[in-house]
Amino acid sequence: MDALDDHIFQEDDHRTAFTFTPSSASDPSSTSPSTSRPAKRRRVSSKKTDFTPQDAQSHSQGPLSTFTPLLSSRESPLCINLRASLFQTTWPLLESRIAEVLRSSNATTLEEVTSFLSSFASSASTAPNQEGCDQQPAISAAREKIPAGFIITGPNIAGQELLFEQLGEELAKGGARVVRIRSGEGVNLKAVLKKIVKDAGSFDAEDGDGEGQVGRKGGRKYLDYDLEALHEVVKGRRVVVAFQDSEGFDNALLADLVRLFWEWRGRIGFEVLFGIATSVELFQARLLKSTARLMVGRQFDVVQADKVLESVFRSAVVGGRARVRVGGGLLRGWVDRQGGEVVGVGGFVSSLKYAYMCHFYANPLSLLLAEAGELGWEALQPEHLEAVRTLESFRTHVEAAVEARQLRHAQMLLDDDEYLAKWILEQGPRREEYLQQLLRSLHLLLAVGLHTTPFTELYISALSDGIDLSADSQVLEKAKQLGPGELVALVERLLDAIRDGSAELDLAGWEDDAEELTKPLTEIRDDIEALAERAKADRNPLKSKYSAQSRVVRTTVVAQKVQLSHDTATLTEDDKAFTAAIDKLAEVLIRHIQSEPVTSCPLHEAWLYDAKSPYRDVFVPRPGVTFARALSRPHDYLSCACCKPNNSLSGTLPTTSVLCHLYLEAGALINVADLWSAYLALVGEDTDIGMDERTALVQFYRGLGELRAMGFVKQSKKKADHIAKLKWL
Amino acid sequence: MVRRKAPAEEPAARSPKKRTLEADPYEVPDDAISPKRSRATGASARRTAAPKPAEADVEESVDETQPSVEPSPTKRRPGRPSKTNGQVATPSALRQKAVVATPIKLNGINGVDTPSRRNNADRSARRKSARALIDRVVGGAISGDEGEEEDIAREIYESSEEDEEEEAEQAETVAATPSKRGPGRPRKNAAPAARKRSPTPPRDLPSHEQYFYQNKPGLTKTSGNNLSSLDLLTHEEYFSILRQIKDPHAKDVEFLQSLHAESFPQWAFELSQGFSTCLYGYGSKRRLLHQFATYLSSKDQSSPPSKIVIINGYVRTTSLRDILSTIGTAASQKLTTGTPVAMVQSLLTSLSSTPQTSLLILINSIDALPLRRPGSQSILAQLAAHPQIRLVCSADTPDFPFLWDSGQRSLFNFTFHDCTTFAPFGPEIDTVDEVHELLGRKARRVGGKEGVAFVLRSLPENAKFLFRLLVTEVLVAMDETGSSSSGEGPAVEYRMVYNKAVEEFICSSEMAFRTLLKEFHDHQIITSHKDSLGTELLSLPFRKDELEAILEDLMS
Repeated sequence: MDALDDHIFQEDDHRTAFTFTPSSASDPSSTSPSTSRPAKRRRVSSKKTDFTPQDAQSHSQGPLSTFTPLLSSRESPLCINLRASLFQTTWPLLESRIAEVLRSSNATTLEEVTSFLSSFASSASTAPNQEGCDQQPAISAAREKIPAGFIITGPNIAGQELLFEQLGEELAKGGARVVRIRSGEGVNLKAVLKKIVKDAGSFDAEDGDGEGQVGRKGGRKYLDYDLEALHEVVKGRRVVVAFQDSEGFDNALLADLVRLFWEWRGRIGFEVLFGIATSVELFQARLLKSTARLMVGRQFDVVQADKVLESVFRSAVVGGRARVRVGGGLLRGWVDRQGGEVVGVGGFVSSLKYAYMCHFYANPLSLLLAEAGELGWEALQPEHLEAVRTLESFRTHVEAAVEARQLRHAQMLLDDDEYLAKWILEQGPRREEYLQQLLRSLHLLLAVGLHTTPFTELYISALSDGIDLSADSQVLEKAKQLGPGELVALVERLLDAIRDGSAELDLAGWEDDAEELTKPLTEIRDDIEALAERAKADRNPLKSKYSAQSRVVRTTVVAQKVQLSHDTATLTEDDKAFTAAIDKLAEVLIRHIQSEPVTSCPLHEAWLYDAKSPYRDVFVPRPGVTFARALSRPHDYLSCACCKPNNSLSGTLPTTSVLCHLYLEAGALINVADLWSAYLALVGEDTDIGMDERTALVQFYRGLGELRAMGFVKQSKKKADHIAKLKWL
Repeated sequence: MVRRKAPAEEPAARSPKKRTLEADPYEVPDDAISPKRSRATGASARRTAAPKPAEADVEESVDETQPSVEPSPTKRRPGRPSKTNGQVATPSALRQKAVVATPIKLNGINGVDTPSRRNNADRSARRKSARALIDRVVGGAISGDEGEEEDIAREIYESSEEDEEEEAEQAETVAATPSKRGPGRPRKNAAPAARKRSPTPPRDLPSHEQYFYQNKPGLTKTSGNNLSSLDLLTHEEYFSILRQIKDPHAKDVEFLQSLHAESFPQWAFELSQGFSTCLYGYGSKRRLLHQFATYLSSKDQSSPPSKIVIINGYVRTTSLRDILSTIGTAASQKLTTGTPVAMVQSLLTSLSSTPQTSLLILINSIDALPLRRPGSQSILAQLAAHPQIRLVCSADTPDFPFLWDSGQRSLFNFTFHDCTTFAPFGPEIDTVDEVHELLGRKARRVGGKEGVAFVLRSLPENAKFLFRLLVTEVLVAMDETGSSSSGEGPAVEYRMVYNKAVEEFICSSEMAFRTLLKEFHDHQIITSHKDSLGTELLSLPFRKDELEAILEDLMS
C-alpha cells in the first residue's frame, strides 16, 4: 500500500504546485478504513440537517457536516444535528455582536480623523470637487503643507487592519480616494506609486475606461506609475494615502514619497495617514527635517486594546447572549495571554470561537442547551442519561438530596430514567435563573462602582467563587463611609441600573420584578434625603457611625504615657437614623448582590466550558518541546516493542533519534567521523541489529540530512568534517 | 591547507596542557584535605590571607603564595609533636595576622570578580595544607615516632590497593580508624568532580546552561578523525540501498498515521469555521496531508466542488509566481502577470467576485527554505485570510512559529496540531546533497568524477588534454606539499600551466587557453583565485582520491 501510495504521488512530489484531483488518489483512503467508514455514515446523517447559515462566510464553505457521533459512536443523528445546529445558531449571533462592538470601538478615532482631514479640505478651497479643474491653483495656494494624521495604533499590528478598513470606508464617503499601503507591498518607490495610481485611479470604474488607470487623454499614454495618470482620473479630488505600518517602511522611501506628494500638491490633493506603533516622536526622529517640514499633522490615539478587549469581554463572554459560559480558569488564561503576549483582540475572539466549537463538537451533553421546544426528553438516549449520572455536579446534587433526607428524589434520579430526563429538562430554566442572578448582581456591583479590581477579574471570581458581599466587605466598607449626598447618588445609580438594565451585558431592566429591592432602596433614599435636609437646616453635618469624622482619636496622658483611644463621637438622633439607614442599605445590598459559584449549579457541565488543554495546544504550540520529546523518546509516539519507554539510547531507535541522542551528548562542535563511528557501533554488524556498513551509512545520511533540515546543525568551517550545533534542547 | 589546519589544532593542543598544569598542584592536597576538617580553622585563616596575589594570573598566584606559606609551616614545626596544642595555638596566631592583612588587600581585590578570588584562595589553601601535610609526614618520619610508623605501616598494608594519595592521607590521620575513612571518601570523590572541568557535562543541566557550558572558549575539543577513509555515498548507491531497507518501525508509523487520520473530521470542522490548520512535529507529513486532501474532497458537498491545490514548499525551484498562477488556474481566474503582490491582489479581487468558488490550499513544508522569505509568507497569509480560501499546511522545523509576525498570525488564524508522524522524509530532503553540503563537500557541482567525465566528453580533445595536465600538476603539487586528502587541493600557477600547455601543443595562444579554461569554469570543475601577490592560481575542487580516479579515467 505504501509503495502504491508513493507511486501515485511520485511525479507530483517534485512539482511546485498542482491541482489535486481526488480520482487519482482515491486509493489511499483504503489504507485507513477506520477513518473513511464513519465519514460516510456521517455524511448521510447530516444531509437531513436544516442549516441556517448566519453569515456569508460559513455559507460559502458549505454546510457543516463534520460533527462526529460521540458517546462511543452511539449518538443518534438527531442529537448530532442538534448539536451542530446549536453551534450554528449560537456562535454567529455572538460573532456579529463582537463585530459590532469592535466597529463601534473605533468610532471616536474615525470621527476625529475624518473631521481633521475634511477641515483641511474645506479650508483649502471652496469645494474643488464641484467647480472642477479651474479651481486647482486655489488649492495649491492654500496648501503649503500636506495634512498628515498620525494614528497611534499600539504595537499590535494585527488590530490595525480593521481600523484602516473603517477609515477607508469613512473617508470614501466624504468623496476622498483612499489607498492603504502595507510595508510588505511598498518595497520601492515605483511599487508604491503603482499601487497608489491603481487603487486611487480605479476607484469608480464606470468613469474610467477599460484599460483602467493607464488611460490616455488625447492619445497620450501614461506609465502605470505616473501620477499624471492619477491626476487625469481624480481631477483634483482628495487622495488619502494611508501607511498602515509606517515603521516597516524604509526611511528614504517615505521621504521620497512625501516630497513627491508635496510637489504634486497643486494638482492632486494628497493627504497622508501613518499608523504608528511606537510614538510620534520616534517616527519624527526617523524622518528628515526637510521631510517633516512638508507636513502638518495631528496625533490620534486609538482606543487602547485592553479597553476594546473589556467591551468585547462584556458583550461576548459575560453578556446574556453568551450561551456557553467560559469557565474561570480558561478565562484567566486568555486574559493573562492578552497581557503577556501580543495577541490582540482577534486572538481573544478566535479563542472564544474555538471554545464554542470544542464545546459543541466534543461534549454530547451540549445539546441540553437547546430550547425546551427543540429538545424533548425522548431525544435523550440512554447514553446521555448515563453520561449525566457520571457528572460531578449530578453527584453533588444527589448527595445533597440524601443529606436533606430527600431519599426518594435521590433514588429516583439514580434509577428512574424517565424521572431523570424530566429533572434534566427542568435544569434549563434554572440555568437561566442562575445567569440572570449573576448578571444582575454584577450589574448592580458595577452600579455601586466601588470595586477596585478590573471587571474581568470581577467576573472570573464571581464565576469561580460566587459573589458574597458580606464576606468581601471591601465594597461595603467603602459604601458605609460615604456621606449622605454620595449615598443618595449611589442609590439613584442602583435604581437606574435596575430600571435600564445594561445594553452591553444584554440585560433588560427588571424594575417590575424587583419590587423587594426597589422599595427599600427608595425608602432609604427618601430617609437619607430627609435627614440631610434637616441636617442642613440645623447646620449640623450629618454623620454616621462609620464616617471618618465621627471617629475621634483621644489622647490621654496617663502616668506620663500618651494613650490613644478611638472614640465614637456622640451621635445625634439624626445621625443614628442615618447610621440605621446605611445599615439597612448594606443589608439590602448583601441580600441582592449575591451569586453562587458556577460549579454549584447542577448540570453546569452542559453549558460551562473550562478545558485548558485543547486551547493551549491549538493556539500556543510548543514545537520545540514536541520535537525534543519525539526525538529523545520515540516510544511515546510509536509505542513499539523494540524501544524502551525511557529516555535511553539504543540502536533500535529511529536513526534520527539515535543521532539526536548522540548530538545532545556532544559539544558545540561535532566531529562527523566520530558521530559516524559512534552510530556504527550502535547499529553495526557487531550489534544485535547487525546492519552492514553501507546500509548503516545510508541511514546515517538520512538522519544527518533530517537533522540539518530541522535546523539542528550547520556546516562548520573550523575543522574538516565537523558540524556545528545549533540547538540546545 | 596545512597552514589552515595547524592553528585550528593549536588551541586544542594547548588547552589540555594548561588544564593539567592548573589541576596538578591541588590534585594531591585535595584528597588530603578532607580528613583534615578538624584543622579547618587554620586553613580558612590562611585562606583569607591568600587573596594577596589574586589580581595576578592563576599560575602566577600559585607561585607567589609559596613564600607566604613558608613561615607558617616553620612556625608550626616546633609545636608539632604535641598535636593538640599546636592545632589550637597556631591558628589563633595566624588569625590575628590575617585580620591585619586582609582588609587592605581585599579592598584592592574587590574590583576583581569574586569567584576567581575564592578559587585562588581555595587553591592556595589546598596547596598549603598539602605542603603542611608533606612536611608533617617528613617531620614525623624524622621525629622517629615508632608507634606512628607502625600504624602507618599497618594501614598501608591493609589497604594495599589504595594509591599514593591515599597513603598520604593515612599517614596524616595518625590514629586513623577505618570508620573515619568512610565519610571522608565520598567527599573526596565529589570534590574533584566539581573542580575539574570534566569533558562530559552534567546531564541534568537546563538547555540554556548547556549552551553556555558548551560554548565556553577552549572547551570545544574534538578528535582529529575525519571521513577520508570512508567512501561517501553517491546518489545511485544511496537510492539502491534505500530501496532495500526495511524500516522496523513501519507498522508503528503506519498506526501513528492512522491515529492522526482520526482527527480529520475535527480539522475539517476547524477549516470550515475559518481557521487555517498547521500540522507540525517530527516526520514527513506529506502523506498525511494527501490523505486529508482525499478525505476533504470525498466529503465536499459544495455545488462546484472546491478546488484543491497542493503546494510543495520544499521543491527548490518553488517560486511565488508558480504558486499563484497554479492557484489562479485552479480557481479558473485570469491573473494579471506581474509582481506576486499584484498577482495576489488580482486573484483575491476576482475570487470575491465569484463567491461560489472555494479553494483549498495544502502546503507541504510551509517552513521550507524557498518559502521562508517574509514576502512569500505575507502573501500566503493574505491568501489564507480570504473567506473563500482555506489553508492547511505542514511545518517540519521546530522553529516555524518565527516565520510569522503577529499580523500574519492573525491573518492565518492558525490552529496548530501536533502531528509527529516519524514517517521518513522522501522528496522533502535531498539527503545526499544535503549531507555533502553539510560536510563541506561541494555537492551541487557536476558531481565528482562522473560529472567531469561527462563534461569532458562534450569538449574537444584539447580540453581533455588540458584538464589532464591540470590534474597531473595538482597531484604533483599535492605530493610535494604532502597535504591531506580532505578539503581542496593546492593551487597551481596559471602562468606555469599555460607554459606547459603551450609546450605540449595543447594551445597556441593565451586566448585559446582562456577559452578552454572558461569552459571548465562554467562547469565548475576548476576554481581560480589570486594570491596576495596577484599571481593567478588555479585549483581543482576535488579530493586527492577523486583526482587520481579522474586521472585514471583520462589516461585510459
